[in-house]
Order: sequence, then C-alpha cells, then structure tokens
Amino acid sequence: MPDMTELEVFDKFVQIVAKSLRIDDTSQIALDTHLTDLGAESLDLIEITMETETQFHIFLPDKSILETAVEVFGPGILEKDGYLTEEGKRLLLCRMPEADARSFEGEVVVKDLQHYFLKVGTWVRMIQALVQFTPAECAFCGGPMAPSMGFRMKCAKCGVEITLRSGEEINREWVREYYDKEYRQQTGAPVSAAAVH
Amino acid sequence: MDAFDRMVYDSSVTPAWRPAGRPAGPRAESVCSRLDAFPCEPAVLADLILSPGEREHWNAMPGVEKRRHEWLLGRAAAKEAVRMLLEEKLDLVLSPKEIEIAPDAYGRPRVKYCGAGIHACGGSPDPPSLSIAHSQGTAVALAVLNSCALVGIDLESLTRRREDFEAIAFSPDERRLLAALPPDSRQEWALRMWCAKEAVGKALGRGLSAGLQAFHITRADTASGMIEVELRDGALKQFPQLQGTSLAVSTAREPNFVFSAIIHQQGAVRMRPSRQEILDYLLQKMGELTQDWDYPDPVSPESKLFTELGFESLDAVVLCTAIQEHYQTPMPFAELLAEIGQQQRDLSIDELTDFVNTHLGGPQGADATRRVQ
Repeated sequence: MPDMTELEVFDKFVQIVAKSLRIDDTSQIALDTHLTDLGAESLDLIEITMETETQFHIFLPDKSILETAVEVFGPGILEKDGYLTEEGKRLLLCRMPEADARSFEGEVVVKDLQHYFLKVGTWVRMIQALVQFTPAECAFCGGPMAPSMGFRMKCAKCGVEITLRSGEEINREWVREYYDKEYRQQTGAPVSAAAVH
Repeated sequence: MDAFDRMVYDSSVTPAWRPAGRPAGPRAESVCSRLDAFPCEPAVLADLILSPGEREHWNAMPGVEKRRHEWLLGRAAAKEAVRMLLEEKLDLVLSPKEIEIAPDAYGRPRVKYCGAGIHACGGSPDPPSLSIAHSQGTAVALAVLNSCALVGIDLESLTRRREDFEAIAFSPDERRLLAALPPDSRQEWALRMWCAKEAVGKALGRGLSAGLQAFHITRADTASGMIEVELRDGALKQFPQLQGTSLAVSTAREPNFVFSAIIHQQGAVRMRPSRQEILDYLLQKMGELTQDWDYPDPVSPESKLFTELGFESLDAVVLCTAIQEHYQTPMPFAELLAEIGQQQRDLSIDELTDFVNTHLGGPQGADATRRVQ
C-alpha cells in the first residue's frame, strides 16, 4: 500500500485505536489528539503498535527519531543535561515540518517530547512514511504481495519472499543523511563513527 | 509428595530465594486501598476530596471522560491509603483535601500536605511514598510510611490482549521463562511479568522510559507469585546503586485482573524472628487491616481468615505482600491459598503463623510444610 493518503491512514489508524481502547465515539479522535488523553497506557500502546504493524504491513521503530539520532550523533550534541540543544531542535523541525515551531522555543525538556510522539498525527505521518517501503507488487513478476510470517511479504504469484525494512533502519538512514548533508557540512564536524557504520 | 519432590520443592522455594543473611529493611508500614466504583457522582467526589490545586488540574484536564474518571478514582484510592496510613501509624487525622498528590518532574505521584490541618498537629512528618494504578474502572493505591522507600503498584485487566504481545514486551530469556510455565497459565504469567516491570518502573519513578529490556525478569516463582526483576542498561544508569540487586515484586491474580506490588527499602540485616514474634506481628497486622470491620469477637490466633474475618482475595494478597515485605522473604502464598481453596477449608492465623515460620526456616518447619502440602 505505498500510496495511502494521510486521510486513509488516519481513518484506518483511528479504527485501530478505537478498538484497542474501546472507544465507541471515534469523533473524539483527531490528528492533534494525544493517545494518553484517550486513556492509552503502556500495554495499550504495545497493542496499538502491533495492530498497526499487522494492518499496515509495516515494521514500526522501537525508538523515537531523537533516540536514534542521539545514537548516530553521539552524546551531548542534540541533547544536553536533559534539554534539547539548538542542534536537536533543528533536527526535529527538519524531520517533522508539521511540528509547531513555537513548541521548540525556549528550553525544551527531552522527556516532555514523549508527549509529542504520542500524538495521533505523529503516528499517522510515521505510518504514511513507512507504508511507502511496503511493496504492493512483486519486484520480479509484478504479482500482488501478501503478508507472510513475521515482518515478511510474499508474492502470491511467484512466491518470492521479502523482509520488510524496519522503521528503525529507515530512521537511521535518514539521520545519517541529515548528519552528512545538514550537520557535518555546516559545522565541519568529523564523520561520526556511528554515522559511517 | 515424596522426599525427592520435597527437596526439589524446598530448594525451589526456600534457600535460593533467601540466601543466608539477606539484608532486610526496616518493616514496611504500608496501607493499600482499592476502589472498584465511584462512591458517589464523580463531580461530587471531586468536590469532596480534591485540594484547590488538584481541582484546577481536574478542571483543565484534557482527554476523554473515561480517562478523567480513572484519574479521579486513582486520586480517591490514593488519598484514602495515605489518610489511613497517617491515622494508623502517626495518629494524624487529615481530610482528603489536605493530602495533595502532585506528580514530580518525572510524573511519579508525590504527597504534599496542604491546608491548616497539618500545622494544627504540630509539625509535619515526611510525606509517605505512594504509587497509584488504575485500569478498566478499578483503582488501587499503595502508601508506605518510609518516604525513601521505592513503592510501585500496578494492575492490568486480563481481558483481550493479543497473545503475540510477548514478542515485543519480553526478551528471548524472558520468553524462555514463560515457555517453561504450564501453557494454560502462560497468558496470566505474561501479564504478571508485565505488571512486575511496570511496578518496578513506577517504584523507580521513571516508568519504563529506560526501555522494556532495561527491566529484566530473572525469575518467576509460580508458587509464591514472586517475580524478580534486575535492572540493566538505561535503568542501571539511572540507578547505579541497584547494581546486582534483585527487586522482588509480588504478583497475584483475580478473575479479571493481575496485580503487582513492590516495596523496596534498603536497610540492615534482620535476625530470624521466633514463632511468637511472627504470631504477634500477624495479629497486629490483622488488627490494622480489619480495624474498621466490626467483629463481634476480638481477632485471636484461632480466628479464620475467610469465614470469620471476612477476607476476600485482595485482602489476602495485601496481607501476603505485607508479610513478605516485612520479612523481606518471598513465600509460596499462592500455593497455600490455592490449596486451601481446593480443599474448601479456611486458614487460621495460627496456621498462617506456622506457614510463615516454616518459610523463614523456623524449627517447627517440617510439620507446617507437611500441612500445606
């Protein structure tokens, strides 16, 4: 399903959330709703994650984009003493252009960002970005791809199997590219060990 | 049970759990409370129990009604636990409004006294440690007098749950622990293990933010319901002083819920108590637990927990947790309770004393062990 619109993803995601949290009136769920405000607890989030993966045929990342970025950049660059640095804000705004720039004004406590990552809209855009990596058609014979065991897809026609790319791997790739194009060239920082590997 | 089985049994429940000289903390003075329904209209309850600061939060709280109601129910349970604890242990009588519960920087609930009541009592004691959990219209709270104790409580509903949640929630080692359990109890124990992690995360005050794998389950004892959790990676970085410490979490299940609780306090080595001391402690604890229950006769060693004292399963869990915390020793209570359930008989405080004495390595051990087998 590589070409789902935001609305299509939203509608499907709302059904998953409503079923998991047993919400009858789905009009309560909007793009700027936070999952925790709907009563989601950690176990619900796991369930929503798994159901989303099953229904969209994607492999969601375990870590937030910031956590992955901190691994690539190394400590002290994107966050320091629990606060987001200017560099960290720049990365997040580049990654999430829809983010409200005002929410990154002044001091931003890293753990408060958790709230942002739990917004329905953040999930919808993440899902929309990831479904592009799930092929609808077999690259070899053009036959329709169907979900197989684990994070795999199988061609219904020729039987070839592919493994879905994990969201974390895709995030890491994005961060490395950002590091090279946006960060290193501007700051003249050395090639980070994590970034080259 | 033949001798070999007994040896296997004993080694599984006693020495490995309780290495000689295991450090034990000072006794946990705690109160656990539970609410399964609103005692009155939520808006009325809010009026009755919330401090001005809490009211402001309640009025501005975003989210669906279900979430607001569970928050309020959790606050009600927590205030009740703190109020009873202060009254019982410190003779301090406060109204729920004078006990304000506000989250700290990490979201852990912290007790703050407010209003005039506390000053009228001449000096304010350190606020108790507190943990709150709610799910599906039920709220529980655990308050502990020691303000430095690490306290965590959790409950999860047993209804629905994708069975494959284990794959995300647990490491391969933990899944091996689960795989070794009887298949019909696997789902329950997966949830108990999850609850145990949650309780530890709450006790440390950072939730599971260090990642699920940072709370590693090293042992799950189906006989006692005890689950041991060790910190790793991110969680160990946050709490280096807990390196090499096994955190013992009590768990229990009811038809619809799984509960978990941990009270962790550092302290000195404790001597093994005599049978009389155990009996005295149990009588005192029973007195505390049941003081408002209005019995025609005083609680005595012969009193039977369920028929005479009106115990329900959660009461038994609270008592068992308190005993295990008090003696810093896990004991196979779940097995004991299951056994008396099967035989459809009751348990007297005397028998309970024997049971505890056995599992603390007391001399009357052999008899008591036979009795519960």
